[in-house]
Amino acid sequence: MSKSHLFLSQKMKSLLEKRKSREALEALILISVVTCLNMVFGYFAAAFAFYLSFFKWDYIGPMEFVGLKNFMVIFKDLWRGISGAYFFQAPFYTGLKNILLYTAIVVPTQTILAMILAAFANQKIKGVQFYKVSYFLPAVTSPVIIALIFIWLFMKQGYINYMLQFVAPGFAPDWINDKSYLLYAIALVAIWGTSGHFMVSFLAAMQSIPRDIYEAAMLEGAGPIRRFIYITVPMLKPMIVYVVVLGLIGALQMFDLAWVMAGSNGGPGGAGYTMALDIYNEAFINLRPGVAAAKSIFLFALIFSVTYVFQKKYKVMVR
Amino acid sequence: MRSSLKLTKLGWIALTCFVLSLFAFIYLSPFIRSFVASFMTWEQASRYPPEWIPDPFTLENYMKLFKLELFPRWIFNTALYAGLIVAGNIMFSSMAGYAFARLKFPGRDALFSALLALLMIPIFVTLVPNYIIIYRLGLIDNIAGLALLSLANVPSTFLMRQYFLSLPQEVFDAARIDGCGPIKTFFYICLPLAKPALGAVAVYQFLGAWNAFLGPLVFLRTPENFTLPVGLSFAFQRSMWTEYTPIIAGSLVAAAPTIVLFIALNKYLIKGIVIQAGKG
Repeated sequence: MSKSHLFLSQKMKSLLEKRKSREALEALILISVVTCLNMVFGYFAAAFAFYLSFFKWDYIGPMEFVGLKNFMVIFKDLWRGISGAYFFQAPFYTGLKNILLYTAIVVPTQTILAMILAAFANQKIKGVQFYKVSYFLPAVTSPVIIALIFIWLFMKQGYINYMLQFVAPGFAPDWINDKSYLLYAIALVAIWGTSGHFMVSFLAAMQSIPRDIYEAAMLEGAGPIRRFIYITVPMLKPMIVYVVVLGLIGALQMFDLAWVMAGSNGGPGGAGYTMALDIYNEAFINLRPGVAAAKSIFLFALIFSVTYVFQKKYKVMVR
Repeated sequence: MRSSLKLTKLGWIALTCFVLSLFAFIYLSPFIRSFVASFMTWEQASRYPPEWIPDPFTLENYMKLFKLELFPRWIFNTALYAGLIVAGNIMFSSMAGYAFARLKFPGRDALFSALLALLMIPIFVTLVPNYIIIYRLGLIDNIAGLALLSLANVPSTFLMRQYFLSLPQEVFDAARIDGCGPIKTFFYICLPLAKPALGAVAVYQFLGAWNAFLGPLVFLRTPENFTLPVGLSFAFQRSMWTEYTPIIAGSLVAAAPTIVLFIALNKYLIKGIVIQAGKG
């Protein structure tokens, strides 16, 4: 290689380097807003919440380091609840108990309902789009609006009790004001509000199952129900895990419906009280941000471990 | 044999239609019922058994709603909030999405994974610290302060990145050969090409912001600054009207934009959900 060539290639190299560093610089400008906002309101905030959980504070005065005292508040509350204390003495326990029951009702029901509806909609019939739109409509409506409408529909002499007379004559509870029905009313609204959304997810997954598997099963003489159980459900496994994980994340931090239908104090006897409501009250009514932070870390740990265990068990990782 | 097979098939189709229609009724009837009731007097709407034809037909509920000076303000606030969120996300998340998809810079993939990991943190964890940050910035009770929190979302950035990854590399190479720098390429090449993805971001962010509750509830303090969901639940809890029908009418007004948008765009929106789910 001659000298001039070497010089040229070096010049090319430095030009390339310059171009590279310019590209990096302009890229940093392009990502700056997203990165800064999410670092501050995401990572810094999460770290600050963790820090805050070791301090006693009232938003104004100096912060006082209290070690694990805030977490002790949680465990004392849980302990009182387990030994049978009343709602006002153990609000966190009540919230935890309610949200676990609520999740145990809502997640399986909405998943199975969405899957069955998708199986019915996944057939060659006219007007499937109409059904999809009507099932999906609650999912694009604000939960608060839905809750406000359902408070009226759930009244003792309301529309839902009227329709129930055709299915279960004589069964007409005062859903919202009766503490043994409030949580079920909220759960019903949640199922109504989200199953349509998941039904569309299932429908898409079903349409990607190869047709010839079904044809082979039909030749073997398998009816529609057996085809559903032995082909559709196993083929849908990744989608089921995805829907259950999303459902768990949503259900465990349910807030909007409970806020409107039960009120921030949890309604009669705390029947509609949830962990999310408790964190809100701790932070903005009792003005104990340290305890609220500790409780939110408990909630995070709960959501994380439940979804992690579930995904581990079924060996499909979402994200 | 053949005819019995045909008969069972016919039976299945009938069952399918029955089940689908039954559930369509279950999902739609709360909307229809409240639409009808919003034109009734409360006396009629609370009658048992329920009546379906407004008699007398009245616009009283909607008039009561707009007589309350706060209600138009709530509509305006919600629109402002949704507008800010949509504008911010279209601008910033498309920029970042493009950079994460198509530009090379040190630490790119690590940074992007770090952003995605944020999706695992529940909003309740960051709520109190963010309240303190916004309070220190003097932006409590301010729609702009509230909008700042979700001006550049991770999900929109993810969506834009996926879109820019799906475009052919030649487009970007051509721009580079012509001497376009990355930012120039973004404005002259990428933005015009990204219209479908920008539309999707806009619609999802609009729905999210219009329906948002927890953020507005925490960060807005005076009733004049409330958004529709917070305002309506406030009106309900303070019993601003003795009847329930104005609440129903207000709920319908608040839900109308999202319902109209959804019905107009249902094919794209449902497809978008499917694409999102596919990523999982």
